[in-house]
Amino acid sequence: MNEQDLPPIVEAAQPLKHRAWYRFTVVAATLLVFGAAKLPIEKRLNAEYREAFFHGAKLNLGLRQQIGQMGFLAALGGFRALVADGLWIEAHIDWTRTEWGKMLFIFNNVTALQPRNIMFWDMSAWHMAYNASASAMQDIRQPRIALRLKHQHEYFVIGRDLLERGIANNPDRYKLYESLGNVLRDKFLDNCGAADAYHKAATFPDAPDYEKRFAAYQLSYCPGHERDAYNELLRIYREGEKEWLPTLLSRLKYLQENLKIPQSERIKIPENLLPPHH
Amino acid sequence: MSAISIQNLTKVFPIPFRRERIVAVRNLSLEVEPGQVYGLLGPNGSGKSTTMKIVLGLVSPSAGSTRIFGRDSKEVESREEVGFLPENPYFYKFLTGEEALHFYGKICGLHGAKLRERTGELLNLVGLKHARDRRLAGYSKGMLQRIGLAQALIQQPRLLVLDEPTAGVDPAGSREIRDLILDFKKQGITVLLCSHLLSQVQEICDRIGILHKGVLVREGRLDELISIENQTEIILEGASPEVLARIHAMLSESGARVLAERKPQTTLERFFLEVTSSSKKN
Amino acid sequence: MPASPPPTPAIEPTPASRHVFFSPARIWAIATNTLLELFRLKVFYFLLIFALVLIGSSAFMIEFNFQEQFQLLKDVSLGAMSIFTWLLSVLATAMLLPKDIEDRTLYTILAKPVPRFEYLIGKLLGVLLLLLISTLVMSALFVIALWGREQMVIADTIRTSTGTPPAQLEEVLRGIRSSTFTFSLIPGIAIIYVKAALFASLTLFISTFASSTIFTIMVSMACYFIGHLQGIARDYWLGSATTGPLPRIFLALVALVFPDLQLFNLVDDIVAGNSIPMVLFAKTAALGGLYTCIYLLVAYFAFASKEL
Repeated sequence: MNEQDLPPIVEAAQPLKHRAWYRFTVVAATLLVFGAAKLPIEKRLNAEYREAFFHGAKLNLGLRQQIGQMGFLAALGGFRALVADGLWIEAHIDWTRTEWGKMLFIFNNVTALQPRNIMFWDMSAWHMAYNASASAMQDIRQPRIALRLKHQHEYFVIGRDLLERGIANNPDRYKLYESLGNVLRDKFLDNCGAADAYHKAATFPDAPDYEKRFAAYQLSYCPGHERDAYNELLRIYREGEKEWLPTLLSRLKYLQENLKIPQSERIKIPENLLPPHH
Repeated sequence: MSAISIQNLTKVFPIPFRRERIVAVRNLSLEVEPGQVYGLLGPNGSGKSTTMKIVLGLVSPSAGSTRIFGRDSKEVESREEVGFLPENPYFYKFLTGEEALHFYGKICGLHGAKLRERTGELLNLVGLKHARDRRLAGYSKGMLQRIGLAQALIQQPRLLVLDEPTAGVDPAGSREIRDLILDFKKQGITVLLCSHLLSQVQEICDRIGILHKGVLVREGRLDELISIENQTEIILEGASPEVLARIHAMLSESGARVLAERKPQTTLERFFLEVTSSSKKN
Repeated sequence: MPASPPPTPAIEPTPASRHVFFSPARIWAIATNTLLELFRLKVFYFLLIFALVLIGSSAFMIEFNFQEQFQLLKDVSLGAMSIFTWLLSVLATAMLLPKDIEDRTLYTILAKPVPRFEYLIGKLLGVLLLLLISTLVMSALFVIALWGREQMVIADTIRTSTGTPPAQLEEVLRGIRSSTFTFSLIPGIAIIYVKAALFASLTLFISTFASSTIFTIMVSMACYFIGHLQGIARDYWLGSATTGPLPRIFLALVALVFPDLQLFNLVDDIVAGNSIPMVLFAKTAALGGLYTCIYLLVAYFAFASKEL
């Protein structure tokens, strides 16, 4: 049968809806329309998300140089936590080798990746203010004591700075205020500053009991605030027997004498409840 | 009402990125009456599969229409009355025979006791009761075709569309399938059949249509199409040589010509089946 | 002319009322079939690997303090959960349509009175069920591992705290317990599920026009990375005025077409100890649900008139 023998066909075209380009247009149009609708929603949700978690801190794009391409992609890829944890483990290993400089470098990256993780700020500060500083003080490679003291003090500052930055990112959590109080008390011998930090910690509903006590203790060492400290310690004392801890009682006793509180107003403190060395 | 009514069906496939098009089916019109076994024949690329897919609503026509029992193929409803067995299907290999039938039954709206009953019935019908709990992955080609027939029948359709139902199946299985088709015909089910195996088509079809390059070139009742009009075949048994001589004499007087005289042969298929079934008995 | 064959008995025609336009039963049949298929594919062995990762990760962390231990356990487990559910969603979905087409089972289904949209919904639902079961099992394993560690740490703490006043000990134990399982982990895990569901729907859409399973998987994975950068693209597009027109169009397309996947990483922050405001969780889940539906819709548009 030749081509000519075939009956002529009516000029037939593919129905519109089956043409590939038509389907593509419908799909593309749907995606773009939906895209335009969801864009403001995502933007708002993103802002709310940052507000709830980051308090304004953004994922630092400068991080890319520091943690490398793969790390950065993984961080963006939703594995920020794991990248941070991986770095943290590395820092732990560096600690066993007392590589303080490297540790600090990692701490800055880890806290940049996870600014809302209290533990990272807390432990980074602890490593710097307590461990690195002690190591600097005992550094036998440095013959001059003066320089050792200087380096030790530098580490105190780094530790405090980490805590302050941590607090800036997490103003709604008590723990870093407490740690700040510890550092100010132990390393800077700043009793007034420590009192202030413990006091802030105590204001949080989930703060442990001892925060308010520590605040009062430190206040009692802060020159010019003995009266306030006494009032505070008295208030705590009156909360009940569970607060009658040795340190509280000894500070109370000391302040009663120091402020020359009239005998009639003084609390009678039995000797057996005071700390042994008192 | 026809079981299948195809009116001026044309299907054109555009070739992407080129100006030419492939015309798979050209202005096809045919009717399949209820209760018929209709054979749609043609070489590869003649448009048989495309026509079937359009009838089943899997592909849309470029022009013209197809209807099943009066309902347009484009409507999902039209498929309530159809069962389809595609060419070389694999089915869901992870299912057992019974599970597969349950699945197809459920998507046809059957459930519960009725579904279980129907499944049992069909497994019996196609001779797969013994393999109901075996995964389809372990079925032979013939068994797959049979389970395919069973799923096509699950919702008791009035029309069956079968694409190469006996392709690749051994002679015994092939025989069984053909017998089943003849059974369906007796029950009044319409069958549209596509096959290359012309001798088998010849056995079971009432009407045939031959497609070539998308055009229906011949169509009609099988016996009318292939009977050689002016020839007669008479098969004798127990005829002595004298009787044969007298017949020859009579014929030469009448003006008719003897074209051939030979011992009729059984078909190779019948011979094979006889041998294999008797060796099975032994 | 041979005699015409005897008239055959007519079968009762199907009543027109039998066809149901929308049938949850049909969808459910397809969904459970898909679930069974995926289950019998031993895709669930992913979970085994997850369990091993969990246990393995706990083992080497002894030298850290308990806070670090809990954090590592949570981060690793939730990270593993996140990636496995996502992988599962992409791999399981990517093969569904191509397999049905190649095996010709699609024809047997669509030749039945099953509308194409029901087929798609059924397939997606099957994958969503698989993801749900996986998430639940992995969560259970996670909670058990976490609880086990917590008990060990508590026992250790009690043992080494002889002489500590009970009130103080109680505070320490309270501290330990609060850093293990917190109820805020539940919405975090729920969002992991929502993210995976979104990807299942997206992968289904891609598979309707993709030429092969591998292509589908690759495009889907590319969307994963692009989605995580979408936030940055969006900020650049809406904010900066210094980029040229061509980059701006590109950024606009990225911002419009791709989802912002950073929004679905809530679990990171939960582990850090923050709790999610319920409103934020609800909004994120709703957005994820919306994406899932939209991708299903465009999958339908692409598939409905596809020549098979």
